[in-house]
Amino acid sequence: MPSIAAPIIAALKGVNKAYGAHRVLEGFDFALEAGTVTALLGPNGAGKSTVAGLLTGRLRADGGRVSLFGHDPSHQLARARMGIMLQAGGLPETLTVAEVVDLHGSYFARSLPTAAVLEQAGLTALAGRRCDRLSGGEARKVQFAIAIAGAPDLLVLDEPTTGFDPDARRAMWDVVRAKSDAGAAVLLATHHMDEAEALADRIVVIAGGRIIADGAPAAIKAKVAATAIRLRTRLPADRFRAVPGVVKVETVGADLSVLTTAPRASLEAAFAIDPSLQHFDVTGASLEEALAHLVHANCTAALKEAA
Amino acid sequence: MMSDTLIAPAPAVYARESWAEIIKSARMPQFIIPTIALPPAFYALFALAMGQGSAEGATRALATFGVFAVMGPALFGFGANIAAERESGQLELKRLSPMPAGAQIAAKVAATTAFSMVAFVLLYALGIAGGVSLTAARWAMLLGVHTLAIIPFALIGLGIGYRLGQKGAIAVANIVFLAMAVLGGLWMPIAVLPQAMQTIAWALPSYHLGEIALMAVGQRDAANLWLHAGPMALTTLAAALFAWTGEKAQAR
Repeated sequence: MPSIAAPIIAALKGVNKAYGAHRVLEGFDFALEAGTVTALLGPNGAGKSTVAGLLTGRLRADGGRVSLFGHDPSHQLARARMGIMLQAGGLPETLTVAEVVDLHGSYFARSLPTAAVLEQAGLTALAGRRCDRLSGGEARKVQFAIAIAGAPDLLVLDEPTTGFDPDARRAMWDVVRAKSDAGAAVLLATHHMDEAEALADRIVVIAGGRIIADGAPAAIKAKVAATAIRLRTRLPADRFRAVPGVVKVETVGADLSVLTTAPRASLEAAFAIDPSLQHFDVTGASLEEALAHLVHANCTAALKEAA
Repeated sequence: MMSDTLIAPAPAVYARESWAEIIKSARMPQFIIPTIALPPAFYALFALAMGQGSAEGATRALATFGVFAVMGPALFGFGANIAAERESGQLELKRLSPMPAGAQIAAKVAATTAFSMVAFVLLYALGIAGGVSLTAARWAMLLGVHTLAIIPFALIGLGIGYRLGQKGAIAVANIVFLAMAVLGGLWMPIAVLPQAMQTIAWALPSYHLGEIALMAVGQRDAANLWLHAGPMALTTLAAALFAWTGEKAQAR
């Protein structure tokens, strides 16, 4: 990854954060680079939204250092270079799409022209519509437009394409890609692995308040030398759990999805268990499967450590 | 990077935010009708139609109905709107933007003042039609007292909006609105109320503002100004405390 010269946009150094007695982050280090789309992945409650909240100034760290463009995230000069799309972001019901985008753009000194923002967000046809007459996906586009209106150097997107049809999704990905190519840092929090895979240059997996993997999507997948096997069998999933090499068995429709580190041994054992097995499909693990494996392995290691 | 190339000039942001706030509310009939049309309508009904054409009665009612006219835009504009914006995440998005922190409140003050002014114009016009005749100085004093009345009610509205969700805020603002009007003697003098209820009036900014407005039109002895200005300042201070603790309570 060409990260040698990329400037650091935002950083957490030795950050602690607790909610009451529950410690979410301890001595946490993390940095975002310009020109890179970074996806934060991990199970719910792992600390993803805490990391995003600290970087954007929504949350205050209990200890350590948080810097955004060299300032505290609450500093106006830091905020002037950041665009945010929150997961739950209402819009003023009685203002039109163009009025809302224009108003948010007016907070920034170097904002893009409203017409250009509407065009990029795919909202040109809806410019004059009132926000209370938008569908969920359309409202999401307005929130995206608000996030890019100030020509930010850091774009923070929390589940950006919820409620989108596939075309709209791809169109938004293209815009995000273009912003990143032009030098913006993008922080993406998503539950959609295909979104992370399509968009991210770098994937950071957080589990239990720690970074358990950090690298390009291909590198994350390679880290888990796992194979996915789909089996069409009438036998229950439990019968296959003790098969050599198997790390996970899931029912997917009429099939079983088996994640294994020893595909040959697993397949042979599967045939022994179900001699009538006819249909099977062997593929490399998807990002989602790799992630599940990583998180699972991390939990097991943590349990052993604690024992 | 130079800061002046990043930060939008504050006066421009304040102006844009204020204008957006005004058109936002102006397009809500559920806000505009009760806040702007109700006070002149009540004035026409209670004071002019039922007052049998007494110019003195029309003048007395004009003073207190002006205070009443401020309460709607202030309590609902601040209470219900802040609650709705907080609940829907709009407030958070603005906090994370480079918008100056004061612009949001300033815009609401601007909108409340604008809507109050429309109500004043309608009220004063009805008053003149109903026989009210004041010197220019007394008109100016009356307008001054009525405008000043925005402050305590806006603060009470803020305190409500920071604490409650939209539905709760509207309900509570309605109760405060009616209680302030009736118990504060804005519709009828408190003398018509039972003794116990008259005592409550002393704790209400609406009562003291009404009395000061009556002094402005010469219906009360201005020598007693301190008697109402003192409690007025205290209730405003309490309202400020109510708003400030509400703001702290909702901040993370």
